[in-house]
Amino acid sequence: MEAQLTRRTAASCCQHLPISSASSQSSRVLLRSIRLPTTATGARKQSTRSRTRRALNIPPHPSFLDRKPKSGSNTIIFNPPASAPSVFHTPFKFLPKSDPRRRANLPASLFASSTTIQFNHTSPPSTPQTDDADFIANAPLLGSDCSTPKPHHLTPADVEEIRRLRTEDPVKNSVAVLSERYKCSKLFIMMCVSSPREHRDKIKSALEMVRQRWGPRRAAAREDRKRRWEMLFNSQL
Amino acid sequence: MKRLRVDRWTGQLLVARSSQRGCCLAAGGALRSARSDQHYIPVRSQSTAVSYPFSEATETSFATTLQVPQDPSELPSPIPERALHSAKLASLHARLSLPKKLPIQTLARTLVDASADENPQFNNINLAFVGQTVINYHVSEYLMIRYPRLPMEIVWASMRGFAGIAPLFQIARSWGVESASVPGGEVDPGLLQFTTEKPGVSLTKFGYRRTEAMYLEKYKWRRGISNRVVFDDDFGESVDVTPGSEQTAHEAEMRKKERKEDEDEEENEYSMRRYGDDETRSLAEKAHAHFVRAVVGAVYMHCGRDTAHNFIKAHILSRTLGLSSLFSFKKPTMELALLCDREDFDPPVARLLSETGRQSRTPVFVVGIFSGKDKLGEAAGPSLDHARLKAAMNALKAWYLYSPGEHIRVPSEMLADGAKKWDPAYIDIGEIISR
Repeated sequence: MEAQLTRRTAASCCQHLPISSASSQSSRVLLRSIRLPTTATGARKQSTRSRTRRALNIPPHPSFLDRKPKSGSNTIIFNPPASAPSVFHTPFKFLPKSDPRRRANLPASLFASSTTIQFNHTSPPSTPQTDDADFIANAPLLGSDCSTPKPHHLTPADVEEIRRLRTEDPVKNSVAVLSERYKCSKLFIMMCVSSPREHRDKIKSALEMVRQRWGPRRAAAREDRKRRWEMLFNSQL
Repeated sequence: MKRLRVDRWTGQLLVARSSQRGCCLAAGGALRSARSDQHYIPVRSQSTAVSYPFSEATETSFATTLQVPQDPSELPSPIPERALHSAKLASLHARLSLPKKLPIQTLARTLVDASADENPQFNNINLAFVGQTVINYHVSEYLMIRYPRLPMEIVWASMRGFAGIAPLFQIARSWGVESASVPGGEVDPGLLQFTTEKPGVSLTKFGYRRTEAMYLEKYKWRRGISNRVVFDDDFGESVDVTPGSEQTAHEAEMRKKERKEDEDEEENEYSMRRYGDDETRSLAEKAHAHFVRAVVGAVYMHCGRDTAHNFIKAHILSRTLGLSSLFSFKKPTMELALLCDREDFDPPVARLLSETGRQSRTPVFVVGIFSGKDKLGEAAGPSLDHARLKAAMNALKAWYLYSPGEHIRVPSEMLADGAKKWDPAYIDIGEIISR
């Protein structure tokens, strides 16, 4: 079902994010927030029936509108069905230097940053490329931001200190506490030092106790979630 | 390095034997008729290259005790000249549009598995060996040229998908070949003849058996990719530890996994009972696969390189293999970041392109992966993390599955007379993460 998100339906029924003022920082905050501010265009239900009908009365896709059949000539309507982009369609950036598609200097619109979903094209787009570029620049970022360089501020002495602290008292100096103190990621702390075996065993047995208290529903849900992740990585989803 | 002379491997297949149990590959007229009054089989009288798989003991027993019986039902496989009167064989020959140059007796010989007739002068083992090398050569060449960026493990998986036992079994089934319940001299020569009772000597795993093979299983030694490239067979599988069984470790593992999955299902148990157990089914599949290989080998021997290539293109390479579903990733985002770093692209960032139903039970998020202004991949998923990882995997697949074109020339086409000048094929610098 997800794969069949259409260009048209996506443009019409997806909630448009208020991205006008979006710097990357603010948009990430936005993504974490639970409730999104709903805009008038995104709502599916209005107060009255006629308003709802009017709101849902979506104009047809531009590719249907801008055909002007010349007299005596045949027109080809190219309006492909909604589908997820194929992985066999190599992005322009991935083509090697020797590839004829790159050498032929085909129009960038064929390959480049065309997004499947185009926004705010109620009227036929005049300059789709600039629109797309704007849209991409403003779309909210996900995951960790790779663009800011990492500080790399910890010295070998710091690492030694981290090791000592964590080995001495793994309860008090937990991974979270140390990462907060040394302003680094939790992963880095775990790369520096692994906690003593007794501590690990204790944590593991505590987790096991928790797991045993789960009822059949929760256990099944957890199992399913695990399986879904596996399927995701095996490209079965 | 010793020079391999392929023409010598099967040269003995093309000449008529002087013995009474004549080679069935001889032309129809020159075929020796009876197996009656000859009391020994001359072993290796003409060939210098091929060593037969059966042991010394078998040879001596052949030489001393073999009395060729009068009654055809006592022979292990039908005599060659009966092939001329088999309707099944004629229709199979016609159905596959095999060239006239390929005699019907040879086609009959491709249907005799080593488990039915141990004598390599009458079974299809030598032809299957030639066929296997030719098929594997053409498939690997096609994959190398058509998808130059595939990681080695995916190449092996797709080799298995095109030329492994399972697809060849399917091909044999689709050719409409039926098997005899019990092989013997009296059955129709148009039936595939094998037995699951005694697997017999079969050269199924051509390749180097590692000297340390028994330790691989015992101590679970690591076999790296380059190690497997050098030491293992065309599918990246090591030849099995125990010399008796021809199952590779991979196959055994797969079967075990399948069995575990099937345990609960009653329907599967029913089908298992109906078609035998795993062992017999795998033997049957192997016999079918060897038949297909032997047919390719026979086409190669009788009609030459180009005909064999066309035959392989028509029957094996024309099959559709879902390459994009062969991939499995562990840390796709890291791999993609490494790729962008290696190729001097901007670091990849994930951006939310659209979403719907965030508060609902079934939300959909569409996430794109961008490097600079270029979109590398896009995917939809039920959560932000799912969609992001899926988009990263799609971007990686788009990199790995780059293809220079559909009708790209392969090196073996240069062997044809008057071939055009060769354009260098695209060769990738290698995998992103070495395993």
